[in-house]
Amino acid sequence: MMWLSGGFIFRSGNSRFHRLDPRVKLLISILTFATALIARYIYEIGLVVAFILVVAAAATVLTRIARTMALTATFSAFIFVVNFLFTRNLESSSLYAFRFVAIVVSTSLFFVTTTPDELERVMKMFRLPRDVVFAFVTAVRFVPVMMLDALQIMDAQKSRGLELDKGNILRRARNMIPILIPLVVNAVVRSGELAEAMESRAYGASERPTSLVEYRAKRVDKVVALAAVVVFLLAAYSFYSLLAPIAL
Amino acid sequence: MIEFRDVAYVHPTGVRALDGVTLGIRGGETVAIVGENGAGKTTLVKHATGLLKPTSGTVTVDGVDTRDTSTAALSRKIGVAFQNPDHQLFSESVEEEVAFALRNFGFSRELVEGRVSWGLELFGLAEYRRSSPLILSGGEKKRLTLACILAWDPAVVILDEPTVGQDALQKEKLGETIRMLSSTGKTVVVVSHDIEFLWPLQPRVVVMKAGRVVADGPAKSVMMMGQALDSARVAEPHLVTLYRALAQRPDSPFVGPHEARAWIEGGSAPH
Repeated sequence: MMWLSGGFIFRSGNSRFHRLDPRVKLLISILTFATALIARYIYEIGLVVAFILVVAAAATVLTRIARTMALTATFSAFIFVVNFLFTRNLESSSLYAFRFVAIVVSTSLFFVTTTPDELERVMKMFRLPRDVVFAFVTAVRFVPVMMLDALQIMDAQKSRGLELDKGNILRRARNMIPILIPLVVNAVVRSGELAEAMESRAYGASERPTSLVEYRAKRVDKVVALAAVVVFLLAAYSFYSLLAPIAL
Repeated sequence: MIEFRDVAYVHPTGVRALDGVTLGIRGGETVAIVGENGAGKTTLVKHATGLLKPTSGTVTVDGVDTRDTSTAALSRKIGVAFQNPDHQLFSESVEEEVAFALRNFGFSRELVEGRVSWGLELFGLAEYRRSSPLILSGGEKKRLTLACILAWDPAVVILDEPTVGQDALQKEKLGETIRMLSSTGKTVVVVSHDIEFLWPLQPRVVVMKAGRVVADGPAKSVMMMGQALDSARVAEPHLVTLYRALAQRPDSPFVGPHEARAWIEGGSAPH
């Protein structure tokens, strides 16, 4: 479980991609996301995924992105089956399934290379309410903590004779109760304690608190952002005029 | 009873948590595992219950390799009270919490009721029998987790940092419980930083550092190994520190440090 979750959790890295302005990383993620949405054929989705994998390799996060793909495989298969049952169209069902993988992987690329602090600053730049930004970033920051909690709770319950993999699907669902209740209770208690700790450190005392880091885009950030936009426009143009006939 | 043979464990993250641990724990022994944070203490005891399987080496419980059996089967023999009680409490009432494992093991209804009452009385929790375990204080939750473990009468009891959040009286009671368990032939393994709690129990002490065992022996001997304890960042008991200091004074009641050591190991009074 922790292995799979690694596909969405930031770990420090020092590649050129990691050092990019977080706004540029977000732009690349949004553009690949959008490219996956406008793609009309499987080979186009394949090109998008290949592009993400090349960027991931350059950012030295290829393994992490592979984990994300492994994590999405089950959901992707589910999307394929449901679509196929209703449409009986193999091509469109495959397209939806692969599109889902491309969308998730493009999002994952941003999250695995961007620190929660960078994420917070990016959200603030979009003038989102401070409390909303804080709640979102804290939720992201606590994902690995919750995962660790879940593993420790599972260990504790397995040591009391609980067999999570035993029985039919209903029994297995019931077996999750001793895991979920402590997990939720811990999360609620932790959020209360965090709120108290934040308030005791003057959270909310000022409407415009000072920021530790002010982002200024460097030349490399501007060049990469421009290149990303150009690649997106080229991809969009190709998908709708040049490459499309190949599929016919 | 529990045999670790050249056990190494590498976390999925690549961290080497255990590095060639060879250790035998015999039935009826009281063993304290000490060492700095991240030394591999909890990782080691998780191997005994099969929660973790060694990357290399073997762990056997009563001759059975933990790779060949389930945690559920091992937990019938080995009860572990983990460090954070909030990681296991979930039932509607305190008595249901204690009964959870007993039901998992398929105990009869009468036996479950009897064991639940015994466990709650032992740890002074009978008055909370019908209360939610979530409303208990930190110390009470800790005692409840101990009651949950002892209720099914495992042959080995592993306590991971049992004194955290306990006041002096509860620590004393816990010490008495450990002595009681030892006297009834149980194997007790205590993972703790609380040297002052461990010292009166006079257990066999295993000192760990960076995934290795750096000292192993009776408490009176191991606690005199200043260098080994320092390197593993384990504080020696105040009594040992006191006698070291006294032995160095010109008006020392001891002839020298050797006599101080003999006093600590033998229990003879200074002249």
